[in-house]
Amino acid sequence: MAGRRVLITGVGSYVGSCLARSLERDPGFEYVAGLDTRKPARDLERTDLIEADIRNAVISKLIPNTGVDTVVHNQIVRRPGPGMSPRAMHDINVIGSLQLLAACEKSDSVRTIVIRGSAGVYGSEPHAPQFFDEEMTRLFPPRTRFQRDVAEIENYFETYSRRHPGVTCTMLRYQPAIGPSLDSQITRYLSLPVVPTYLGFDPRLQLIHEDDALDALVAAVHKPVRGAVNVAGEGTVGLTRMVRLAGRPTLPVVPALFGPTAGVAKRLGLLDFSEDFRRLLRHGRGVDTTRLRETVGFHPRHSTVSAVQDYSRKQGGRRIAPVLRQVMAR
Amino acid sequence: MTREARTEGGPRFGGDGARPEAEAGVGARGALAFMRRLREGLEAGVELPEALARGAAGLPRGARERVAAAVRRLEGEYQEDEWGFDEEFADLVEPFFGFLYDRWWRVTATGLGNVPSHGRALLVANHAGILPWDGTMIAMSILRGHPLPRHPRFLVLNWAFDLPWISTVLRKVGGVVASPYNALRLLEQDHLVAVFPEGVKGAGKDFKDRYRLQRFGRGGFVEIALRTRAPLVPTAVVGSEEIYPKVGELPLLSRLFGAPYFPVTPTFPLLGPLGAVPLPSRWRIEFCEPIDTSEYGPDAAADRGLVFELSERVRETIQQKVYENLVARGPAFL
Repeated sequence: MAGRRVLITGVGSYVGSCLARSLERDPGFEYVAGLDTRKPARDLERTDLIEADIRNAVISKLIPNTGVDTVVHNQIVRRPGPGMSPRAMHDINVIGSLQLLAACEKSDSVRTIVIRGSAGVYGSEPHAPQFFDEEMTRLFPPRTRFQRDVAEIENYFETYSRRHPGVTCTMLRYQPAIGPSLDSQITRYLSLPVVPTYLGFDPRLQLIHEDDALDALVAAVHKPVRGAVNVAGEGTVGLTRMVRLAGRPTLPVVPALFGPTAGVAKRLGLLDFSEDFRRLLRHGRGVDTTRLRETVGFHPRHSTVSAVQDYSRKQGGRRIAPVLRQVMAR
Repeated sequence: MTREARTEGGPRFGGDGARPEAEAGVGARGALAFMRRLREGLEAGVELPEALARGAAGLPRGARERVAAAVRRLEGEYQEDEWGFDEEFADLVEPFFGFLYDRWWRVTATGLGNVPSHGRALLVANHAGILPWDGTMIAMSILRGHPLPRHPRFLVLNWAFDLPWISTVLRKVGGVVASPYNALRLLEQDHLVAVFPEGVKGAGKDFKDRYRLQRFGRGGFVEIALRTRAPLVPTAVVGSEEIYPKVGELPLLSRLFGAPYFPVTPTFPLLGPLGAVPLPSRWRIEFCEPIDTSEYGPDAAADRGLVFELSERVRETIQQKVYENLVARGPAFL
């Protein structure tokens, strides 16, 4: 039997390029394609780089030509990058997913779609059950733009998989990832010289280590399952404990002033918290990972706490915050 | 820290007459030495936990252990389970709740043998007294009086998790949001779980309605017990009704704070925060004979008739035990 042919969107990101590298080393995959406008973060050997914008209808012509049977959708933006407006983020997330699905409609060979989605679809709620399972997306109304976007994306893929019973769609709902090589909201937050928290609130967070984030994606490509799967490390960590493990001082801010303070800091270019992230810092979120372990058969190597410990250990050499350095360099 | 240094450590010099001053001197000197070393450490460019540890080297042993523990916590080296329960923290605040238990409310607990010493069980109790003090006292009675003490987890009214500090303390001592999913997961992990099926209706009822049990929701707690085959332990609490005798409500303020009620008691909001101090009534807690649910099987959770019947049985048991304990207690505040 011929090897599998796979396409990865968002191959320019850290996780995307690591996935491409891992799959191109696997003899089971005869063809690996990467779609992005950015250069891959890692050197790739035999990945076929397709330089196209996912928002553009041209991908409907490019993707069917590759004859791929597996699509890994890794271009859902959680944090607007430098110079990216919230509008552009929304476009990439929603219009990008729609264009990708349109391209999949046109190509007959696609059998598997794996989406790196977000557990943000559950929201962060003070009254939420401590662990969301995959059925609980509609317990609370969506409150932020990102949450609405993710809910919409999930809806599209659900509709698509209902229309195409032969295609297996796996919606991976990721908790925030942490790790020394990642540049995510959580690592930015932990590298601030003084870490702001909501005064009087110490929510439970659940994270996934960057290695596990990648391996979960690989596992889902190897064993796709229908429907949503939560992806997170075992257990939770209190926000204060996480910051202390990272060796940072906290600065509790009165909740009413947190938003305005973050706004000022954003204008100064110090930090940029999305509304989602702010809600997470106030109320936290936990998910149930039974389905990941039992159906996908993937066991994260790092628990939430050990992921934080690993991050702070490898970060130990440069305790002086990169953000501070950036500001000084200006 | 200073007081610790004074009472436990330090060489004793001088005669008996001069001791208080001398001891105070040692304490102050210990504190000064600690501050000096701390400052030196910080000036030398050491991180705060390390500097604290260095400063502690100059302190007497008892205090040094305290500092070591504090430093460990500052570095994040403490355990929390997946629910956010922090046993070390729970032990730390135990003296406070112990004071309330022994001195303030003078709790008498009976029937502790009915609480299973291991495995899952659902404690079902009547609810009163605006804030979830009754939950903490049930926990204390098990920690104090049970032959195999363990920390029960309790389902707390949701809006408590909107509040700063209270939400944090609650989760650290074992409180979770009152959601059936939480109860199911906790019981499947073989925890001891306390629920208050009356919910807001119980906690926020008027003083004139005291000790009249309200409706037990829709019997959700029975469904959970049936599905997890956990025994139900009816628990009667007497005394919690008098701690905040609620005579009225301010609906406008409750809407402002997003709380289900804004109580008016003889002391609150008249005395401000002081009005939040609960009155020292005398309490009794009785754990009744457990009801075995394993004989029905998990499918019985869908049987409405059975659920209502069991729910009503639990409610009647509690109501009856509440009356019995009211008589046994006598006057509320003596």
